[in-house]
Amino acid sequence: MGKTLLITRPEHDQGTLYLSKWSEKIINEASNKGVRVIDLHRQKAERKRFLGTLKKSNPSLVVLNGHGDENTVTGHDMQVILTEIDGSIVSGKIIFARACRSAKTLGPNLVTRGTSVYLGYREDFWFKYNTKDVFRPLEDKTAALFLEPSNYLAIALLKGHSAGEANRKSRELYKKNIERILVEGPLSEDYDARVILFWNMTNQVCIGREDATF
Amino acid sequence: MSEEIKSQPEKISEDAKELVLARLEVTSSEKDFSIGGGESFTRDELIQHVKAGDETGRKIIEIELAFLRALKDGTLLEEILGGDGR
Repeated sequence: MGKTLLITRPEHDQGTLYLSKWSEKIINEASNKGVRVIDLHRQKAERKRFLGTLKKSNPSLVVLNGHGDENTVTGHDMQVILTEIDGSIVSGKIIFARACRSAKTLGPNLVTRGTSVYLGYREDFWFKYNTKDVFRPLEDKTAALFLEPSNYLAIALLKGHSAGEANRKSRELYKKNIERILVEGPLSEDYDARVILFWNMTNQVCIGREDATF
Repeated sequence: MSEEIKSQPEKISEDAKELVLARLEVTSSEKDFSIGGGESFTRDELIQHVKAGDETGRKIIEIELAFLRALKDGTLLEEILGGDGR
């Protein structure tokens, strides 16, 4: 059986809409690589279906988009879909959670309970977007500054890089964007983005087996 | 600034607030902020949060201060020029 990616894409507000749309790039990369994609989009991104899919399809890579806190990641309409008690179900998996703070407590706890590696954010994950581009998020150059580097975590895994390498490559993209803004200087349209990019970059972590590959 | 933050948190908190407000006021009003793919804020809403000193306001101050500390102690340069990316 080939490799399987399970991705959640809630879409209940502007923020999750952006994450969902930008996740299409991850899905496209997976499809191009011949990876089977299970896409829990909108209402499908709910706990029962998520856990059922994990048990039934046994994906080795799980990408979560949504809200989060120290102990949970949520799906559509803020329903909690992943918590510490799910340790046995996600055992052996590579998880990337594009959500706030879940790498602070949930990630380490899941790794202790058998998750191969947990990639995510120890603090809040922020991004900016251009209100003129809300109907075409993938063309939003401001959002791209944040979402391309974070997307690349999943894309690098799909390309065969280890979790540690994927994290480093993703961080390289953050650095490039920060550097570009610093070179452009205060007249840059997105000058304030450097601060948030630095925050996201330094709080993006890889917990567990850095040598794990998809 | 970081030493002062440790020794005089209340006073610096006001300084930090003013600094962040000044930064936010010159940002484009056409760009909104999203936290964790969830809550979104306009520039003006964030300014109100910073002025109110609530949790969201404190978060954006923390982000700005983290950057300034990294700028001051050289971490920013280290990160940009090298580092192992962990």
